Amino acid sequence: MQSILVVDDEPDVRDAVKYVLNRAGYSVRTAESAMDALAELARNPADLVITDIIMPQINGVEAIEAIRKAFPSVRIIAISGGGNFGVTEYQPTAITTTAYLASAEKAGALLVLTKPFESVELIRSVEQVLGIGHA
Amino acid sequence: MAELRATLSIYVTACVVVVHLVLLPALFFGMGYVIRKSHEDVFVEHTSTFSRVLADEFEVGAALDSQKRIEDLLDFAITHGGAGYAELYDRGHSTRSLYGLPEIKMPRSSNLRFGQAGDGIYFVVLPLVHADHRAELRLGFDEHPTQERIQLALTQMLWLLAGYLAVAILIAIILSHRLSRPIQRLQAVSRAISSGDYTRALNVNTGIRELHELAVDLEAMRHELVGVNDRLQAKIKEKEISEVRREELQKQLRHRQRLETVGTLASGIAHEINNVLVPIILFTDTALQDLPPSAVPRANLERVLAAARRAKDVVKKILTFSRELDEAKLALIDLREVVAEALHLFSVLAPPTIEIRTEIDESLPFVRADATLAAHLLMNLFTNAYQAMEGAKGILMIGLRYQEHADDSGIPQPRVEFWVRDTGRGMDAATVERIFEPFFTTRSVGQGTGLGLSVVHGIVESFGASIAVESKIGVGTTFRIFFPAVARLEVIGDLTASVV
Repeated sequence: MQSILVVDDEPDVRDAVKYVLNRAGYSVRTAESAMDALAELARNPADLVITDIIMPQINGVEAIEAIRKAFPSVRIIAISGGGNFGVTEYQPTAITTTAYLASAEKAGALLVLTKPFESVELIRSVEQVLGIGHA
Repeated sequence: MAELRATLSIYVTACVVVVHLVLLPALFFGMGYVIRKSHEDVFVEHTSTFSRVLADEFEVGAALDSQKRIEDLLDFAITHGGAGYAELYDRGHSTRSLYGLPEIKMPRSSNLRFGQAGDGIYFVVLPLVHADHRAELRLGFDEHPTQERIQLALTQMLWLLAGYLAVAILIAIILSHRLSRPIQRLQAVSRAISSGDYTRALNVNTGIRELHELAVDLEAMRHELVGVNDRLQAKIKEKEISEVRREELQKQLRHRQRLETVGTLASGIAHEINNVLVPIILFTDTALQDLPPSAVPRANLERVLAAARRAKDVVKKILTFSRELDEAKLALIDLREVVAEALHLFSVLAPPTIEIRTEIDESLPFVRADATLAAHLLMNLFTNAYQAMEGAKGILMIGLRYQEHADDSGIPQPRVEFWVRDTGRGMDAATVERIFEPFFTTRSVGQGTGLGLSVVHGIVESFGASIAVESKIGVGTTFRIFFPAVARLEVIGDLTASVV
């Protein structure tokens, strides 16, 4: 059974994603931050990491880079609800969802998903990314 | 004080007059004395010479012995010597010429000077000594002709002096005018300068060196002032322009900041809602999958899912506002195609009460824009226009035309103007001022988000285009968007690049 690590600072999002993937037959663990995720991966390796982009402390793009460095074989899917969350001041080039997802892709995410998504989309994406490894 | 001062010409003339009023009488009396004296001297000289000659004739010619001779000589004195009285007195016997004037009497004293006698006769008495004769020649000369000559000379001199005085005053007036005219001119120009008029040139023609130099100095000063004034005015104008430009930029910046704030806010909210939607959609979705097709809660769960999907769409729309602009892919587009496409869509939506008219140039240069966003922009404007005319008949006019517009440095720049005019309600100035602000709406709650025109503004800015609004209450509103036109050479360059 392939194992997946879901990283998101929102417990509801973590639980929902975990529930859908468990139902689809995957072994799913969760982490609430990038640091947690790295520690979890060090304890038990995973085939796939699904990570949020906008998180406090270490953001998803940095997390993807760190995971790619420490665990090169792990595949990554980036998810984001968008928005320049946490930015309160005027910024001429406010980073948007698209920009975040694009940089996540650049950092090494094999696929990006925009929140909210349907269960079918999620499962199809996971299958697609894990299928790349089998091919 | 100043009012009491005489003008220069009056002053000079008065001086000349005063000086002459003192000098001329003195001159008159002095000259009169000399004239009188000389005439008197000539008279006295003549009479004494004539008397002496006559006396000699009596003494040397032994005329005293002949009565006839005495009478002849006395008559000669009257007829040829100019005397009016001639008498010879010898040893108690008196002989007097009958030619003389009988009323003349011999005065008691004979040592009188000219004019002293008072009767106008000048008497000369000469003693004659010859043999035993002890005689006296008494002659009286009429002073009147000499007095008349003196009077005539004095009168002539008086006229002469009067003429001289007149000429002197005339010359004084002319000279003082020649002196005061350039001064008046200088004064006029300096007054003009002090009242701010620097344009009057100083043309003073004068032979007086000081005045000439003063005029030259003043002209130099005026010239300098003109320069200073021009520079100052240019500076003030420059400042005014930059002030206006600064205000405009500040206004734009404030507007942009508001847009950015709203964008930031919208993004933040979108992020939160999207996170909330994830468990809703996923759990509902899977719950539906787990339920048999006949289960009762299915319908409810399907509604939950549908509502969540709608919420997703709403968030997406709000995000469009901040996201689409960043994603704009500028390409060379023909606005006529965009307008045609938007019109096609709009004609389906527009109520039949609205008549659509177009006024589109045959050939237009390309503009750099995002076709999707441009269509979005046009639809927003059309919708806005038809909502302004809602419930009434109206005309929606749409136009596209080429024009050249001078930029800040005055160089004409080609541009394409797109305009939309409605015959709707119109807006007041205060509304026009705020129309592009996010969430600003004149519609009642629930009828519009108030994002439409701020999205329009954002899109226009992302194209590097500009937008202008004209509106009049009860007449309608016109929106104009000015797209910078792309030059033919640039078009060729872009096409080549895309082929490669």
